[in-house]
Amino acid sequence: MLSTETIYFVIFTTGLAVGFGHCIGMCGPIVVSLSLSLKGRSVVVPHLLYNGGRITTYGLLGGVMGATGSFTQVVASIASLQKGVMILTGILIVVMGLAMAGWIPLGVIFGDYYNPQGVLSRGFRKLSEARSTATYYPLGMLLGLLPCGPVYTVLLAAARAGMEAQSGLEGFLIGMGLMLSFGLGTVVALLLIAKLADLGWLKRRDVIYKISSVVMVIMGVYFVIKAVRY
Amino acid sequence: MQSNVKVRMFAAVFTLIMFTVCPISSSGKSEPPRVECDVHAGPCRADISGTTVSLDIEPKPVKAMRDLTFTVTFAGGTFVAAPYIDLGMPNMNMGRNRVILKQAGDLVYRGEGVIVRCPSGSRIWKAKVTVPEVGSVEFVFDVIY
Repeated sequence: MLSTETIYFVIFTTGLAVGFGHCIGMCGPIVVSLSLSLKGRSVVVPHLLYNGGRITTYGLLGGVMGATGSFTQVVASIASLQKGVMILTGILIVVMGLAMAGWIPLGVIFGDYYNPQGVLSRGFRKLSEARSTATYYPLGMLLGLLPCGPVYTVLLAAARAGMEAQSGLEGFLIGMGLMLSFGLGTVVALLLIAKLADLGWLKRRDVIYKISSVVMVIMGVYFVIKAVRY
Repeated sequence: MQSNVKVRMFAAVFTLIMFTVCPISSSGKSEPPRVECDVHAGPCRADISGTTVSLDIEPKPVKAMRDLTFTVTFAGGTFVAAPYIDLGMPNMNMGRNRVILKQAGDLVYRGEGVIVRCPSGSRIWKAKVTVPEVGSVEFVFDVIY
């Protein structure tokens, strides 16, 4: 029988391993799209917030699983919500792709066409950037609901741990701890991908942005089709 | 020069990520997995150390995200510990999903578990039955989503 600390560590390493395999394939398009949409701005803080939001959702889901001790019932109750999030994610990738190439007028949101000169205007821009950066946290929370095989597997472990817990609260805390450990493990790979997709160092980015936009639109549509079939 | 290397690296990573899907994303094994038995029709059978072991999953048809009962039956032999089952996909790391089995009769072991769903749409799963100090055997089958 493994100690609780050992189980957390095992789950963390599972997240680490799954991150470099499964998550890069499944969440990679989202992470790359988010990095590209930053258009050369620093990717670290937005992606830390995105991952923080994602892990928050994992933790809450793990807590619910642990408290109820029922995997299938909880998953069944959020199934339609997950499908909706999957569709929304596909649409989001398409919109980000179109906006990045300037094919739809969302450039203002990404701060491309707004180049203030005055002190007040520059202040407003900084505020606006801080606000748009902060949105990565709720975005991460939302995208944490995306259906994912390994996430389900750890949620299953959380539910099982909850069944053996002495109380609902203990089950909640253990389940939450397991999912937080898993989520933290997955962060490394996703941050690495976010950094690799950062084009801030490139002087002539326009052509790559255009090509990436087309791929993002195709990928977004593919996401939506997968979601509808899910 | 350095910029060219970075562009190529970016292009490779971007292409890899954008077109990578669940079943081929983890291990690099490109060979498609082959379904070896129809678990919806009846138990799957294989040999382990000269003994026939059968795996049955109920209720049928076998669906993902449902509570399932796994039964492992041996044709003969003596075992020092109860076997267990690890569920996963043939070419992908899905995390550890172990079904603990308890003795339910003479050479019969039973446990509860769930086969989770992969959003990629891949339906081929494997159940690796391990008998401590004896060995293990894998059953590859498809499930309904």
